Amino acid sequence: MIDTIEKEENLISEEEAAQYDRQIRLWGLDAQKRLRGSRVLLVGLRGLGAEVAKNLILAGVKGLTLLDHEQVTEKSRRAQFLIPVDADGQNQAQASLERAQLLNPMVEVKADIDAVESKLDDFFFQFDAVCLTRCSKDLMVRVDQLCASRNIKVFCGDVYGYHGYMFSDLGQEHHYVEEKPKVVKGSNEANDGPEAKKPKVDPNETTMVKKTVSFCSLKAALEVDWTNEKAKNSLKRIPVDYFLLQVLLKFRTDKGRDPQPDSFAEDSQLLLQIRDDVLETMGLSSELLPNTFVSYCFSEMAPVCAVVGGVLGQEIVKALSQRDAPHRNFFFFDGLKGSGVVDYFGSK
Amino acid sequence: MAQLVGPLRKELADSLSSCRVLVVGAGGIGCELLKNLVLTGFKNIEVIDLDTIDVSNLNRQFLFQKKHVGKSKAQVAKESVLRFCPSANITAYHDSIMNPDYNVEFFRNFQLVMNALDNRAARNHVNRMCLAADIPLIESGTAGYLGQVTVIKKGQTECYECQPKPTQKTFPGCTIRNTPSEPIHCIVWAKYLFNQLFGEEDADQEVSPDTADPEVAWNPADAAARATASNKDGDIKRVSTKEWARSTGYDPVKLFNKLFKDDIMYLLTMDKLWKKRKAPLPLDWTEIHQLGVFGYIENYVKTLRSQLIEKGEGAELVWDKDDPPAMDFVTAAANLRMNVFSMNMKSRFDVKSMAGNIIPAIATTNAVIAGLIVLEALKTLNSDFDQCRTIFLNKQPNPRKKLLVPCALDPPNPNCFVCASKPEVTVKLNVHKTIVQALQDKILKEKLGMVAPDVQIEDGKGTILISSEEGETEANNNKFLSDFGIRNGSRLQADDFLQDYTLLVNLIHSEELEKDVEFEVVGDAPDKAPAPNVPEEGKNIANGNKDSAQPSTSSKAAEDDDVLIVDSDEEPSSSTMETSPESSNRKRKHHDADTDDAASKRKRLDQQPADDDEDIIALD
Repeated sequence: MIDTIEKEENLISEEEAAQYDRQIRLWGLDAQKRLRGSRVLLVGLRGLGAEVAKNLILAGVKGLTLLDHEQVTEKSRRAQFLIPVDADGQNQAQASLERAQLLNPMVEVKADIDAVESKLDDFFFQFDAVCLTRCSKDLMVRVDQLCASRNIKVFCGDVYGYHGYMFSDLGQEHHYVEEKPKVVKGSNEANDGPEAKKPKVDPNETTMVKKTVSFCSLKAALEVDWTNEKAKNSLKRIPVDYFLLQVLLKFRTDKGRDPQPDSFAEDSQLLLQIRDDVLETMGLSSELLPNTFVSYCFSEMAPVCAVVGGVLGQEIVKALSQRDAPHRNFFFFDGLKGSGVVDYFGSK
Repeated sequence: MAQLVGPLRKELADSLSSCRVLVVGAGGIGCELLKNLVLTGFKNIEVIDLDTIDVSNLNRQFLFQKKHVGKSKAQVAKESVLRFCPSANITAYHDSIMNPDYNVEFFRNFQLVMNALDNRAARNHVNRMCLAADIPLIESGTAGYLGQVTVIKKGQTECYECQPKPTQKTFPGCTIRNTPSEPIHCIVWAKYLFNQLFGEEDADQEVSPDTADPEVAWNPADAAARATASNKDGDIKRVSTKEWARSTGYDPVKLFNKLFKDDIMYLLTMDKLWKKRKAPLPLDWTEIHQLGVFGYIENYVKTLRSQLIEKGEGAELVWDKDDPPAMDFVTAAANLRMNVFSMNMKSRFDVKSMAGNIIPAIATTNAVIAGLIVLEALKTLNSDFDQCRTIFLNKQPNPRKKLLVPCALDPPNPNCFVCASKPEVTVKLNVHKTIVQALQDKILKEKLGMVAPDVQIEDGKGTILISSEEGETEANNNKFLSDFGIRNGSRLQADDFLQDYTLLVNLIHSEELEKDVEFEVVGDAPDKAPAPNVPEEGKNIANGNKDSAQPSTSSKAAEDDDVLIVDSDEEPSSSTMETSPESSNRKRKHHDADTDDAASKRKRLDQQPADDDEDIIALD
């Protein structure tokens, strides 16, 4: 006897049913089928990129394109687990390809060695979702804008030392379903006390509820106006990581790279300078982001890549499968505190 | 300014390359953890796992490929890691951590132990070994989208057993045998049936109608009627199910008629049961094929019968959810019974989840948790225990926007029956009905987590009741406790030398225990029902779908990654309220530094379905 649920429409093979069993039991067959039809572009194959690649490939997307123009160095190789030890000098995406493919032969994994800046608009249109890591702010804003018009889901993420973030733009109208326990009408038995007031929930029966949610662009999310009163009042509850991100993105734009341990002294100085400039431009005090931040944002911490890559990977899975409420629209992780926060920035 | 080696300060980076760590488990969390450890700079890692690789592991245990199915997880994990980090010094053990070879001295080799387990027994054991060796332990668990990490340090934090944890719920015999009301009851019945017919017969797994059901209110006048109804095929009451089945040659038609017709008719004569319940409807063999695929039960019986014959004289089959004929049989038998009791039938997929206690699992949850484990590990290596936290991973952010919720660690429970300086526990049982074997296996081992107990009676003579040396006290096994002069108020000293653990057991004699209950540990959490298969955030997923330490591929095991009590809880608690026996969760006082308003707390309660109330931390 084969599981009838799978054989019904003959849309899932026995191999898939066996391999994906434990996740189908979590998010359902429908979600798995949608994943199975999705193509994803992943830009950047360092620590965070490798984690996202692993998570998406294991989840069973149709295709994943790994795009990275950089060459493998000893340092970049030690930051992730897909590149073989003898691959120094090769292209990073190319070097990661074989091990990535072995994670799940049922996914079409490809490598692209071009620089993402050199890609024309319609390159992106072949994907259902795009995930950008290690990209400049301008590039991310551009890609986000052109994808929005095509209902392509856009994700951005980076890890800086102990800190990491993820951003998503799922478009103006993202539809999804949530599974909720079925509420059954109360029975006729005379129930006294508080029990009578509660609707009876049958723990074994569930129902799917359809929902819709909207997201703003990355541009809007990064260009929030902090000078008005309302914004100023909300500052107390804003994760400071948002401002840290602005500083680090500016560093990346100005220097063409991220802060390096080798130039710790010089880069720390620059970071503090940029912090002052960025916050001043926003009309905010430098004290919002205390000096200590410089000690903890160099290089990529492997465990932080794992955490951010896990959350980011799952958000991409959710968006593609259209199941469960997406985090809206930023996730910030502070590896020193162990806290992970979801917050919305931009036009509501 | 500090010197950095990559993202870490130099001193920390140096201590990483010299320290030795132990990873217990190479499954979902273990694979991710090993990867994180080597990429972070840990050099000396030992990993132990008794299990072998299964195809259903491949959606998340990324160090394994299809070609590795059947091989040792620990071994293959080591090989895969060495491929991207050849300089790592990894030792792999394909073994059980509960093997006495891994004694306190073994544990003392390490600066840190990290659990990546899926069962309570092993967690309890490692907890005790780490206490005995005084080594910090990082404990973790995942289930579905939820996960949790915590740090255990002797004398500074709670140990794993400081708070009582609910055990896997078992259903009363009469519910399984007479009055099932949910599919799970029928599924449990079908598993019992499998064992009674093909496997190891167990007196606790009866499938025939239970005449001792207190609800029946036995009326002597009915006795004759009952006796006749049950006597169709010999006196069922005197012959074991297996013997009877064998005597019929496992004839599917005879089996079917007994189980789904005659026994049901017998139940109908116990009319008091059906005054407020819908009465069961006996099935007829001729109708069976109208019940779709479950009607093919005769095929499954025949297949299992052949398997049994192949194995030879006195053979027994072992239940395994991954053995198709066994699974087919249980699915069919359960559904036929659901049909009899007017329940909506369940697909094989769903029956497998329930019968196999499968916990759904994905890569990303394990990836996040394993990342958090390493971050906590870095703090423990620095002995920054005041920086360590329990961190919960939720499915959705809480009202304070937190998806990952760090909470301060609690100090040890001074009355903990494991880590207190003189641990003590009180057990209620019937001294005239409890045999020594039951004390050893069900109470000391299963319930109280000992592996190889030695027990003396505190009777002034130090009478030895149980010796961990094989054979020494075998003669005592079937004697009752009262035979040794044990009575109400007696005390036993139980030692587990491997765990370096001495426990004083106070006994209270009781003749009023609930039906099917052999003993009660006083101050215990109540049994929890198995979680429904749709995990929702904040729901208390049971601490043990797996109570035993058998590998996943063995029949006795339940399944996959276990999880600690997952509380949808708030940030730093400055104190813990006492655990009341009524609650299965720890209750925490909330000190919300940011908003401190009751409204947001009430809002969270409203978001949960009503039934979950007992699972949420009460917010006063």
